[in-house]
Amino acid sequence: MLRHLNALVEPSVKYFQANNQWVSVLFTARVEAKTFSTSPQKPEPQLKKNVSKAMKAYLERAKEHDEFMKQQNVEFQIGKRHLANMMGENPDTFSQEDIDNAIQYLFPSGLFEKKARPFMRPPEEVFPQRKAAEFDETGRPYHFLFYTGKPNYYKLMHDIVDHINEAYKFEDTMIRKGIKPDPNLALDMSGFQWIDKESLEAELVETIGDKDYETFSTTMDRLYKLPYSYRSKDFLFKYRKPLMSHEKTYQAPKPQYDADGRAFITTYECLRKRARGHVTIRSPGTGKVTVNNQDLTYFAEVQSREQVSETVLIINNRDVYPFMEELIARPFSKKYDILKKYNMC
Amino acid sequence: MRSLSLLSRKWGSISTARLNSTLTEAQATPDPHKAALAHPDYFSVHNLFTVKDLFDARVHYGHRDGSLDERMLPYVYGSRLGHIIFDLDKTAEYLRRALNVAAHVAYRDGIILFFLRGAQNSHLVEKTAQECGEFAHTRFWRGGIFTNATKQFGAVTRLPDLCIFFNSQNNVLLQHTAVKDAAKMGIATVGVVDSNCNPNLLTYPVPGNDDSPAAVELYCRLFKAAILRGKERRKADFNE
Repeated sequence: MLRHLNALVEPSVKYFQANNQWVSVLFTARVEAKTFSTSPQKPEPQLKKNVSKAMKAYLERAKEHDEFMKQQNVEFQIGKRHLANMMGENPDTFSQEDIDNAIQYLFPSGLFEKKARPFMRPPEEVFPQRKAAEFDETGRPYHFLFYTGKPNYYKLMHDIVDHINEAYKFEDTMIRKGIKPDPNLALDMSGFQWIDKESLEAELVETIGDKDYETFSTTMDRLYKLPYSYRSKDFLFKYRKPLMSHEKTYQAPKPQYDADGRAFITTYECLRKRARGHVTIRSPGTGKVTVNNQDLTYFAEVQSREQVSETVLIINNRDVYPFMEELIARPFSKKYDILKKYNMC
Repeated sequence: MRSLSLLSRKWGSISTARLNSTLTEAQATPDPHKAALAHPDYFSVHNLFTVKDLFDARVHYGHRDGSLDERMLPYVYGSRLGHIIFDLDKTAEYLRRALNVAAHVAYRDGIILFFLRGAQNSHLVEKTAQECGEFAHTRFWRGGIFTNATKQFGAVTRLPDLCIFFNSQNNVLLQHTAVKDAAKMGIATVGVVDSNCNPNLLTYPVPGNDDSPAAVELYCRLFKAAILRGKERRKADFNE
């Protein structure tokens, strides 16, 4: 207030002093605040580095979070040692696996959802980690797409378009030279698909909507379908995941070889309802089926016979040589229930 | 006499001794940025382009007569075969003013946010922002980014100091919400306004073509040059 007052008074009093008269001076409505100091004037202009409100708030929260995590860590370490003591183990060599087993033993839970069962994990895994500061001390963000709200996602889209434009430019130069794209070099992604939404979210550390994920998918397809997309191979491979069919993941058992040199596999303890049996499949076979050293007529019921013969049909249809099957079935009930057969790859 | 009595009525009576002491204090430290602000063209942005460059980049082409916004009439030279033609002398004047503002904001380490909604030129604008160390928003505008920033970003955020619209409309040819929101938050706006746009809410409108890739390339080049000049001058003036 004194500053305002001085600004108002100074010109009028100076004028008055200069002219030695009472003069009415017009005051302007807006008055600029003047800074006064007793120190000598600095020779070079100085820049004030303001710590913005944003940064201050972030620093406060980060400090709080760090203190909280430290406290949780201390508690976790002490808890781990107590647990080791309880279980009679060495607390220094008590690993995470040991912790899991101990918790499972001490707190047996019949809950169906495994994630709902009691667990003890380091606090970094339990509490959501905060994103590192997205802006510097003056409040200026680091990422050029910060104001979109989803910088990592939109940066990814920006990169895809970069690759598309590069492919177009390369195609233009090739056309000018009259060279056609080499079909052998073209990418083949027949057994692959783009990574699913959850994995993409985990990679970007951002939540994206379904529409955004669809856009990502179609844009990647767009890039992949270009004739010179093989030049962006590394980029494309980072965002694809193999389509795993059950066939490829299934580990077939290795066949053994008998005296005649014919391969065979025996699966023990096959079960269905109360029936237990062992099944042997030989290849190359004759298509003969033996059940308990008897013909298929061992089964009095047609249903059981059909089950076996249909399995034979299925296997035969898959271009495996006709096989011979041996079965030892011990029925516990009147109904003889046959078990399913296993493939011979 | 009248003035002093006015004073005493407004602020109460003040002892003359105290008045005298304040008047003999040292002068105020000069504002380091005042020299730059007093200069009419501190960064020489006037030589970044000529009217011929604007003509070659097809900046003078507006849309058709039917879609002319009446508020754009002051900037229009006329129409030819149904197409609006902008007065490039006026455009040059407005563009130089806008470039000067951008350079000054960059000189003061301000945050500049580029806007363009339109798939054809979005990538170029984002790349320009990256190259000059500023920011871009060429995507779907989430409602509260300026007006509800704390909730949107989860923390107190510093908002841009200048918004540059290379196209002041959005995908459905309505004015971009950010023009209104920037005005609400007191953020200065520079905007390229075509013949179907509303120039009223923009602080520094630049009448011209906003659709041709050539024109957008020119604007990107010019604003990038102006911003980089501002930053260079800042480094030179304050880090010597």
